[in-house]
Amino acid sequence: MRIHQLLSGAGPHDAITSEAVSFRSRFTQWGWDGKDYAVHVAPGLNGHIRMLKRFKPKPEDLLLLHHSAGAPRLRELLALPNRKLLLYHNVTPAWWFWEHAPNVAVQCAVGREQLPALVRGVQVAAADSAFNAAELEALGAPRTAVIPLLVDYGRLGAPAPTSPPGPPTILFVGRLSPHKHQDDIIRAFSHYRRHRAADARLILVGDPISSRYLEALRNLAETLAPGAVSIESGLSNAELGARYRAAHVFLCLSAHEGFCIPVLEAFSQGVPVIARPAGAIPETTGDAAILVDDPDLAVVSELIHLAVTDTDLRAELQRRSQARLALYSPDRVADRLRDAVEATAS
Amino acid sequence: MTDPEHAVEQARAAAVTMRAQGAYAEEGPAAAGEGSTTLENLFEWAMIDPDLREVRSTRKLGAPVTLLKLGLVRLLNQYHAELISQQTRFNVHVLGHVRRLETRIDELERIVGSRKHDGE
Repeated sequence: MRIHQLLSGAGPHDAITSEAVSFRSRFTQWGWDGKDYAVHVAPGLNGHIRMLKRFKPKPEDLLLLHHSAGAPRLRELLALPNRKLLLYHNVTPAWWFWEHAPNVAVQCAVGREQLPALVRGVQVAAADSAFNAAELEALGAPRTAVIPLLVDYGRLGAPAPTSPPGPPTILFVGRLSPHKHQDDIIRAFSHYRRHRAADARLILVGDPISSRYLEALRNLAETLAPGAVSIESGLSNAELGARYRAAHVFLCLSAHEGFCIPVLEAFSQGVPVIARPAGAIPETTGDAAILVDDPDLAVVSELIHLAVTDTDLRAELQRRSQARLALYSPDRVADRLRDAVEATAS
Repeated sequence: MTDPEHAVEQARAAAVTMRAQGAYAEEGPAAAGEGSTTLENLFEWAMIDPDLREVRSTRKLGAPVTLLKLGLVRLLNQYHAELISQQTRFNVHVLGHVRRLETRIDELERIVGSRKHDGE
């Protein structure tokens, strides 16, 4: 079989690009041929992904369309005679981005507009969570499959055997973007620091959606918790693993998540997770995280305190998170991927 | 031990106790409004003002590339100024038109509302 993957954008720190690379290595193991293409390819990918304009499939090739943002030439692609598998990663509603990143907002608005045509134009519509699959079903997809994101958690290194030394450290990993609510994380952290742990630190890891938004977050951090907040991006896997291992709590106050890989990365490193039950988060975490939907950030601050100081609670969350992680093992995900591809081909 | 199912409940109780002792009284800066695109927002965005910080290389040793890109922007300054002024002219006129239409709709709704009221 020959299978080509098509992405709207590809970058070195992008989860969907990493997944496409992992898929490709599985395809090769299974003896399947093909190439991977994206509309926009960022520097630093070392030729793993080609530009879409070079895409010339044969009619018998199978196409795997990763959908996470608007893509040009979609109508042309859907008109091709090839059998197609859609893998929907969710498109964040555009209104989160209009103020700080209008170019991203446009891509998201177009991406949402294109979804019905995609659902109609493929043989099998899959998504990386049941939350995302429900959107496809609402658009009339007759056959849906759930293929969780295929992530190599081992790339972060082995988890630390004990709780990290040093002052309480709170971590969040994810694009610096309004819908991820790093602003609320900074507010909750400033409460925690003021009332529970004056030496606490907050680490935010992620590429900013725009320089303007990064500056707004830096200003907020300097106002509320001067000198206690680090904002980092472009980390290597080893560096990212070290950030997880230095953290006492992973705090996610995101308002919209289609899957949320960092929560599973935190599980893999034994870091207790506190999160808002937004989007696919409850599905991803199961009972292995503390889910809090209280808008009162004092409650979040007290939860951080609890998760940092209650060793039995930490141990129980770590035990549950290992069980949860087993559900997302790369081999299990690969089996689902293979089933979906074979269903598309048949 | 606190089990995970009761952690939120316990945190809520702790927050109440802490507040009674005077903690958590401070108000941080308000969160930005979400999801609303008002005519005021649109007027602000109508004035095209590209952020030059976004003109940069994302490569690890990309400083020379960033300098080159900024140089090109500078060289094309007259062209960009013309482009921006034409786009801004269009945006501002369209928004002015939208505002006049909104005002007119409000007036008409008031007239229809008062006629209905008189008829009753």
